[in-house]
Amino acid sequence: SGELSCSLPNPRNVHFESVNMKNVLHWSAPAGTGDGVLYKVKYSVYGVGKWIRKPECKNINRTWCDLSSETSDYEEQYYASVKAFLHGMCSDWVETTRFNPLTDTKIDPPMVSVSSTEKSISIILTAPGKWKKSPEEESISLLQVYPGLQYNVSVLNKKTKKRWFFSISNSTLVVPWLEPGTTYCVSARIRVTTPLLYSRFSKEYCIATLKDK
Amino acid sequence: TAGIRIFRFGPCQVSLSMTEIRAGFNAIKANIQARDPIRTLSILSYPHSLHKVQSSDRCCITHQLFDFYVEKVFKHCQTEDSSINRKISSIANSFLSVKRNLGQCREQNKCTCGQESSEKLKQILENYEGLNVTSAAIKSLGELDILLDWME
Amino acid sequence: EDAVLPAPQNISILSTNMKHFLTWSPVIIQGETVRYSVEFQGEYEREYANESWIPTCECSLITATVCNITEDISATVAYNLRVRTVVGARRSEWGTLKGFFNRITTSLTPPLTKVIADGYHLLVELEDMGPAFQFCVLYWKKGQEDRMQQKVVKEVGSVVHLDTMEAGPDYCVKAQTYVEAINRSSNFSQTQCVRAQGGTSMWL
Repeated sequence: SGELSCSLPNPRNVHFESVNMKNVLHWSAPAGTGDGVLYKVKYSVYGVGKWIRKPECKNINRTWCDLSSETSDYEEQYYASVKAFLHGMCSDWVETTRFNPLTDTKIDPPMVSVSSTEKSISIILTAPGKWKKSPEEESISLLQVYPGLQYNVSVLNKKTKKRWFFSISNSTLVVPWLEPGTTYCVSARIRVTTPLLYSRFSKEYCIATLKDK
Repeated sequence: TAGIRIFRFGPCQVSLSMTEIRAGFNAIKANIQARDPIRTLSILSYPHSLHKVQSSDRCCITHQLFDFYVEKVFKHCQTEDSSINRKISSIANSFLSVKRNLGQCREQNKCTCGQESSEKLKQILENYEGLNVTSAAIKSLGELDILLDWME
Repeated sequence: EDAVLPAPQNISILSTNMKHFLTWSPVIIQGETVRYSVEFQGEYEREYANESWIPTCECSLITATVCNITEDISATVAYNLRVRTVVGARRSEWGTLKGFFNRITTSLTPPLTKVIADGYHLLVELEDMGPAFQFCVLYWKKGQEDRMQQKVVKEVGSVVHLDTMEAGPDYCVKAQTYVEAINRSSNFSQTQCVRAQGGTSMWL
């Protein structure tokens, strides 16, 4: 079939980068090849006999390929592979390690919304959603994927610089008996016990309690 | 921090320090899976994923799988790397104490086995015996997270 | 002659708060650097792996007479432990710990606990004792010991919020460690009582 000579150096560091189960294959260009390199991508479900080509990532010059749709079943595990082409030459197929979406994904911090009264602040946390094909598709919260999901919440009094920590399983927290007319800054992270997964802390959301009437 | 899970299979209740086992597996996962070149066969998931198993048989299948790993798999997973061997020993000893707890459930008839579990185990053993013993053992060890994910 | 190299004696285990150490008496040989190597054997190795022994993580050819085996004792089963003397190419017989060691026997000490009243808020700060530890914190209004409340705390080294307090009564707190892997708890720490800070400094 007019097979090309595969003496081109291989793509390097072929790996999945996954956030909230948006699973994107990344790699680096072969050493010393400069511009003009094109790539092909294929993937396989571990334990199933065949490699499947990804048409949208055929003869591409970028060094990533979104395989979220193909790897969305997190009860399966996957391999992906990349081949490079340049001036009639090609590289070998280079594979990822075995990718387990459930344990190998990173989790974004929760969304934090804060409101206040004179003496209290109320915090509502929303876990990020699992990646989905299209906006119309039904959202699946990571809470459903990881039933043991908890939130760590940090509340900082900007006046006294004192920081308190809360650990909650549900998504709302009310902190009563606070000082009127004071700014409090809230940030939160997600924590899953097994598999052990932590998100980063969210950025801080600051709000002031109302002034004494 | 440590995450012990109390696994309830109907009347059978088993406590298992899942985090320690997962931490042990994560430490050897890349190394062990890299020793398994066969992409096209899974010991645990072929032809059907564990997730297809009826809940009534979960306890029995869990016990049989812990038995399978303790009796057949770990002893054939020796590597040239002593730190890998230590992690395997740690997982094997953790599996041994869980296997014992599940065994007590079976003796007390709290862990019934139906047709589905025996068929599933038969398939797993067929997959296992379809390879030479070292390849089969290394492949099975590399699939430990499939078992742990399914249990959770 | 080779065979006379004495094996280590007085081999024993020190295990506190899930940190396990094997110790033995030094072997003195004039003019020689004496080293030691330690091995362990879990229940799995005894029953399924031909009673094989495994070199420990940290103690091969060490000169100290204490070995941290915490990383090696990583399951709740009965372990055998042994140590031998090494001088150059010469090796002694193994000295074996009398009886098994199971980490379930580790001694657990109450956690260092700092109770803070900040305005109307009751807070606690607990020492970091390692990943195996969680804390069970009990708190109650003084005089109402029958209405104790409990909180399981996993975050350490930070000020953890327990509850809000009414002005007036004392609130008392005590904590114990809980190690899930062996399903055991320590004794409780000393009870500490604080009161909501009335007046100007009553707020966070």
